[in-house]
Amino acid sequence: MSTIDASTPTAVAPAAEPVDNYLTYTRGFLSWALTLDHKRIGVMYMFSVLLSFLVGGIFALLVRTELLTPGPTIPGVDANLYNQFFTLHGAIMVFLVIIPSIPAALGNFVLPVMLGAKDVAFPRLNLGSYYLWIIGAICAVASLLYGGFDTGWTFYTPYSTTTSTGGVIPVVIGVFILGFSSIFTGINFVVTIHKLRPPGMTWFRMPLFLWALYATALIQVLATPVLGITLLMLIVERVAQIGLFDPAMGGDPVLFQHFFWFYSHPAVYIMILPAMGIISEIISVHAHRHIFGYRFIAFSSVAIAIFSFLVWGHHMFTSGQSPLMNTLFSAITFSVAIPSAIKVFNWLATLYKGSISLNTPMLYGLGFIFLFTIGGLTGLHLGTLNTDIHLHDTYFVVAHFHYVMMGSALIAMIGGLHHWWPKMSGRMYNESHGAIGFWLVFIGFNVTFFTQFMLGSHGMPRRYYDYQPEFQSYHVISTIGSYIMALGFFWTAYYLIASLVSGRKAPSNPWGGRSLEWQCTSPPPHDNFKTTPSVGDCYDFSVVHWDEAEGGYVVDRDADPETRSAH
Amino acid sequence: MMHLLSKIAVTAPSLLAQTEAPAAESRELTGTFWLPEAASTSAEATDFAFMAITWLSYVFFVGIVIALVYFVLKYRQRGNQVVYQADAPLHNTPLEVGWTVLPLLLVVAIFFMGFKGFLDLSTPPRNAYEINVTAYQWGWSFKYPNGATSSHLVVPAAQPVKLVMRSSDVLHSLYIPDFRVKKDVVPGRYSYLWFQCDEPTGIVPEDEMATTATGHHLFCTEYCGTDHSNMNRKVFVLAEADFEQWEEEQARWLDKVSDEELYSFAGPRIYSKCANCHSIDGSANTGPSWGNPTSGSLAGLGEIWKRTVEGSTPVTGGTKGRPGTTLADYIGSGKLYETPEDYIRASIYNPGEILVGGFGPNMPHFRGQLGDRAIDAVIGMMKNLDQFDAAGKFVGTGG
Repeated sequence: MSTIDASTPTAVAPAAEPVDNYLTYTRGFLSWALTLDHKRIGVMYMFSVLLSFLVGGIFALLVRTELLTPGPTIPGVDANLYNQFFTLHGAIMVFLVIIPSIPAALGNFVLPVMLGAKDVAFPRLNLGSYYLWIIGAICAVASLLYGGFDTGWTFYTPYSTTTSTGGVIPVVIGVFILGFSSIFTGINFVVTIHKLRPPGMTWFRMPLFLWALYATALIQVLATPVLGITLLMLIVERVAQIGLFDPAMGGDPVLFQHFFWFYSHPAVYIMILPAMGIISEIISVHAHRHIFGYRFIAFSSVAIAIFSFLVWGHHMFTSGQSPLMNTLFSAITFSVAIPSAIKVFNWLATLYKGSISLNTPMLYGLGFIFLFTIGGLTGLHLGTLNTDIHLHDTYFVVAHFHYVMMGSALIAMIGGLHHWWPKMSGRMYNESHGAIGFWLVFIGFNVTFFTQFMLGSHGMPRRYYDYQPEFQSYHVISTIGSYIMALGFFWTAYYLIASLVSGRKAPSNPWGGRSLEWQCTSPPPHDNFKTTPSVGDCYDFSVVHWDEAEGGYVVDRDADPETRSAH
Repeated sequence: MMHLLSKIAVTAPSLLAQTEAPAAESRELTGTFWLPEAASTSAEATDFAFMAITWLSYVFFVGIVIALVYFVLKYRQRGNQVVYQADAPLHNTPLEVGWTVLPLLLVVAIFFMGFKGFLDLSTPPRNAYEINVTAYQWGWSFKYPNGATSSHLVVPAAQPVKLVMRSSDVLHSLYIPDFRVKKDVVPGRYSYLWFQCDEPTGIVPEDEMATTATGHHLFCTEYCGTDHSNMNRKVFVLAEADFEQWEEEQARWLDKVSDEELYSFAGPRIYSKCANCHSIDGSANTGPSWGNPTSGSLAGLGEIWKRTVEGSTPVTGGTKGRPGTTLADYIGSGKLYETPEDYIRASIYNPGEILVGGFGPNMPHFRGQLGDRAIDAVIGMMKNLDQFDAAGKFVGTGG
């Protein structure tokens, strides 16, 4: 596929470089702003997403600080402002950070290289989806100028159509646009994986991260339009006073919940599926060991994608939906637990008889298994009907979905960022700094969120500005944990930025990976591969050796029975 | 009425404990590490399911972490060279089928446990005692079969109680953690919630209900705006005879108040329903303050009665076809409201018609909840606002 660069013809790569790299291929602001290179778009996404993560994180710290004591804590922060804090935290983290983080940021960079393609199938659409993301983010920021919004990230009606805060419509338009950004990325990935696989890259030779991105892209394409139409209906009701959800005008508020969760439950899998894909890569590469049960993992990704469309009703067990529906949704919900459990067991088995390097990405990978296990097991409490009645809309739910969405999806993203950082930046970060960062984040995370399980099971409802004094000690512990975690993230930002300045130059293959992205230089050249790469078994590590001169690993192609025949 | 409350109070041992140790700030969580006190008949089944899943989770979690740590320690690569083991298995079908089927069997068992408990939770017994519940921003109104109303929930012990719930504005959700029950309150629909609590808790005088440690917590768990976290109320469980007496007193108390005491005694009791949004000292809140002419969010508005009579208060959102900018445009003979009293009554029964400038249409209506005597008491209190302190307590002309 074409990888036409839109920059001016005068801005060509300096001839002095023997091997060009995508970072220096062309120069100047426009060469980035108008680039069609998937790697540059991925880097721009990554930068934007991390910036949003900082903003969402600041709101999280404000929320946690406000909850240090019952009643008012931070001077000047009243209930209305607090309600805006947690709404902004949720909306930013879901729509601007977690959903685009792995597919749009890491996926954009890694997918074509891993696949052995020169770019995604539709480079212009790819750039278009990035700018849609920017426009959506601007709308969300603009909503603050219109008085902000205090609806919670779920926009439940009729509160969202009647609240007096003026920023509801701008932010809903923003999320609507972000939805299209997500759909375009999904379409691009589906077509790329179907059409741009080089010779030898059969479906069952694809790295599992690609299977995960493929399953994710299917959900993005199929589920996101429902969110779009739901949000449009919400705008229509708020602006034109046409009764769709507000019972005062003949609508039904529970209908909105059905529509919303029909997207937003699959959206949870838009977050977690690619995270699982990253973990499959990290675990097998850093354990230098063939992934255990490749097909089970690949199929479980697709199974989760399919089931994800059938379980939205488990968000509504107390909403007044009929007991029969509740029963069916509960039953189907448990069926999602099985493929998730399979993946955890497969990752564990991959460690068995491996050759495990405890690099920073691997720490995140192992941390993911720990946190995802807690997140998954507490999902059982919430999928079970009678216990969910007690736990619904309490901090137990808050803790559970933070373990899954942050402790799993975001931790995997940070792990993936470390895993592919040498490839993206061409620099190695300081390993011991990385380990310190991981432990700060990991410990801080557990201190913050494990306490919230006890808060919730004792009855502390979520989205509360004020609370009963007996809940305070857990709240204080949780807030301290959030400070530790923040310290860890700021530390991580510090050493990653420092690596750009003073980091050792990265070898092509710093970890000993076998998938195709480790065959090209770090950072990769503009066209990824000068010649069509030879595709081997991407999980066969028998031919991977450390090369002292290279400062990294090399793959002994002649020893590899699969690639030898291709020579 | 005071007589009855003190009588019930004496019979409630927990209340005595409360009066001896009034330090409500240092309250501790009740119950076990995981769950609060189980106070309803259905709580046991829910707790059993919760603990069964929790123990299962312990087993799986500990097993997974032990395997993780063991493998990492045993197969850790020292140095950079890969130690490749050719005999490491790529897959193992019996093992993989095994760890698919075993969790499947376990979750089927968990599902049925939850399903059975849920059927009991969602099927109110036929002989249940019905209480009507109206949720509004931001409070609850509990209405009893004999006409009594209360803003805290008082229920009879040892018999099933069924709440018939509706909302007058947005979504709310009624949650009593100690009973393990919760149900959304949806505008435009009725929803049911039932429970049975066998253990009486005793009751406290009305002005102490919000802060007492007696009784069980009742929370709103569906986000509903500004004071979502202040919709917490108390559930008091009374033995049958005490409950009947309370219900009777609650329905009749207003009739027994003498006309002279109506504003001073009944006024503050009714004001407690208004206190969430309307302050007396002039401080800013969801609704316009009743009091203090000099301070507050809308300085210079004057006390509520004065500004109603003088009519200079700016208003917004006037009724269609009746343009006006101040209250004076609406109050007076031949205008929308004949007298200031009419305006106040209309504002309680049909709020949102004429709004004080700067405030939104947030107030729920109180039709069917406040009768003529109650309105009289409220208006009487407004006329004599200088005889009340900032909390709405009657202090007389001397204070």
